[in-house]
Amino acid sequence: MESSHRWIEHTAELQLEIHGRSEAAVFRQAVHALRELLEDEDADGPATGARVERPVEAEATDRGALLAEWLAELVFLAETEGLVPDEARDLVVGEDSVTAVVVGRTCEPRHLVKAVTYHDLELHRDRDGWRGNVVLDV
Amino acid sequence: MSEPVRIDDTLWEIPATARDDMRVPARVFADAELLAAIRTDKSLEQLQNVATLPGIVEAAIAMPDIHQGYGFPVGGLAATASPDGVVSPGGVGYDINCGVRLLAAPLTHGELDARRRGALVEAIARRVPTGAGKGGPLALRGAELDAVLAHGPRWLVEHRGVGTDDDVKATESEGRLEGADPAQVSPRARERGSGQLGTVGSGNHFIELQRVEDLIDRETAARFGLRKGQVTVLIHSGSRGLGHQVCTDYVRTMDRALERHGIVLPDRQLSCAPLDSDEGRAYLAAMAAAANFAWANRHAIAHGVRRAIADVLGADAAGGTRQVYDVAHNVAKLEQHGGRTVCVHRKGATRAFPGQAVFIPGSMGTASYVLAGREGSMERSFGTVCHGAGRRLSRTAAKKQVEGGALRRELEAAGIAVRAASSRGLAEEAPLAYKDVDAVVRVVEQAGLAGRVARLRPIGVVKG
Repeated sequence: MESSHRWIEHTAELQLEIHGRSEAAVFRQAVHALRELLEDEDADGPATGARVERPVEAEATDRGALLAEWLAELVFLAETEGLVPDEARDLVVGEDSVTAVVVGRTCEPRHLVKAVTYHDLELHRDRDGWRGNVVLDV
Repeated sequence: MSEPVRIDDTLWEIPATARDDMRVPARVFADAELLAAIRTDKSLEQLQNVATLPGIVEAAIAMPDIHQGYGFPVGGLAATASPDGVVSPGGVGYDINCGVRLLAAPLTHGELDARRRGALVEAIARRVPTGAGKGGPLALRGAELDAVLAHGPRWLVEHRGVGTDDDVKATESEGRLEGADPAQVSPRARERGSGQLGTVGSGNHFIELQRVEDLIDRETAARFGLRKGQVTVLIHSGSRGLGHQVCTDYVRTMDRALERHGIVLPDRQLSCAPLDSDEGRAYLAAMAAAANFAWANRHAIAHGVRRAIADVLGADAAGGTRQVYDVAHNVAKLEQHGGRTVCVHRKGATRAFPGQAVFIPGSMGTASYVLAGREGSMERSFGTVCHGAGRRLSRTAAKKQVEGGALRRELEAAGIAVRAASSRGLAEEAPLAYKDVDAVVRVVEQAGLAGRVARLRPIGVVKG
C-alpha cells in the first residue's frame, strides 16, 4: 500500500487524514502533506531556496498526540526558518517519541499553519495499515 | 444531536438533560433561518461539549455567527467560576486576542477620488507587512519584548513614539490585561512572535478601507465620532505566532494534567485546568501577555496606517485620524457577573458592555457594522455579542466556487481597491464563504445584546 493523505472539508480549518503501511510511513506522509500546504499554488513551480537539514524530535504520551507534536515541530520550523520540508530522513518512531532529520528548503512560505490541534486526533492501526487524523488551524 | 427548543424569537436552548455529561444548557441566539444554517455542521454538538466543562455557570452560549471549530465552536462563550471552575486555552483559541480596531479619518469618501483611494490602499500595503512572513517594522527581543508582553501598547507610546495615549485609552482594558507574566511565555512563543509586531498575518486577517454608508443611531454615532460619508479603516489581526505558540504550549500542558485533576472531557481540544491550579494560573498569565502583545500589534499596525495616510493625504490627515475603539474577540477575562467573579471565555465573540463600541466585520465586499452594547448583554450573555458574519463554507468549497483573479476583478468593479498577497487566500475569504452579516446583526439587536450604530461599506482592502 502506497502512503497517501487527503484534506477533508471542515468549515473553518483543515482536517488531514493520512494512511500508511506503518506508523513511520504516516509520519513521513505528514511531511509531504505539510509541504503541499506551505507551497504557493500561485507560484510557477515548487518553492526554491537553500537546502537545509534540521534534527527534529517530538515527544508525547500517546500515539495521536505524537503525530500532532511531530507536525507542530514542522510548523515551528516553517514559521521561524521558512523551512518547507521535503522529506524526513533517519526517522525513528519510539514508544513516546519520534526523531528524524528533516530535509527541506528555506524560503518564504506563503501559507503558514497557526497550530496543530488536539481535536479528533487519531493514530491507530486499521485494516490496511495505519491511519492518522489531525485538524490544523490555518 | 438533540433538538434545540425555541425559548423566544431569537433564543434556542438544548437542555442540560440532553446528555449525561452536560452540566448546563447550551443556548444559541439565532433566527430560524440562521439556526438551519448552523445545524448543517457540528457547531451545536461542539457547544454541548463546552457545556460539560467543570465549573461552567448558567449555559454554554453561542452567537448567531457560530460555526464549527475544533473543541469550542467559533462564535461562543463560556463563563466558569471557582472553586471548581476551569480555564481552557481552546476556549480562547490559538489566535489569542484576535480582534478589531477602527480608525476614523478626517475626510469623507467624496474627498477621496479613485486615484487617491488606490494609492492609499497601495501605501497601506507598503507600510504594513501582510501575509505569512515576518519582517515587521518593530523587531523586539529580550527585555523590550518582555515590556510589551507586560504593558501592551502603552510601552510603544512611551518608548518608541508609536501611536498616542488617546489610542491606548480607546482600547478595551486600555490594551493591558492584569496579571500578564512574560516568564510564562515560552522561548518558542517569543521566537515565533518577536519579528511580527506590526504585521497583519494571513488567513482571514485584513485591513479594510471603508466609508460610513449609513448612521442608524445618530446620537451614539456622534459619541463615537462617526459622520456619514466619513472614511474609516478597520484593522483585523491578533497575536500572530506568539499567541499561536502560547495556546499550543498550554493545550499540551493541560492535556497531560487532565487525569491528575480528575477531569474527563468529550474532546481533547477542550483541555483545561482549574482556575486556581498551577497550570491554570500559568496559562492566564501567559494568555494575558499574548493579549497585550496583540493589542500592541494592532497599535503598531494603526501607526503604519497613519504613515500611509501621511504618504498619500498629508500629515494633517494622518494626525487627525482618530481611534474609535479596539475590541478583542478571542480572550478569557475575569469579570464580575451576577455578583461573582467568573472567567468569561470568548472565542469568536466580542465583549459588549452597555454603551461600548463593538465592530462586526462582514466579509470582503459586504457591509460591516458598528454596534453599541446594551443592558441585555449583561443579563443574557455575560456582556457579549457576535464577532462577524461567521463562515458558511469551508476554504476548499469557497475556492471551488470562486477564482481569486475573478473575485479581484469583481471587487474592483464594485469600487473596492484590492491588494492581496495571494489569489488563493483571496478566494478562500470570498463573500459567499460567509453568512449574511445583516441577519447576524439583526438577531443580536432583536435579542437586546447590542444596537446598530452605523453601517460601513468597503472601498479598499489589504489582505494577507
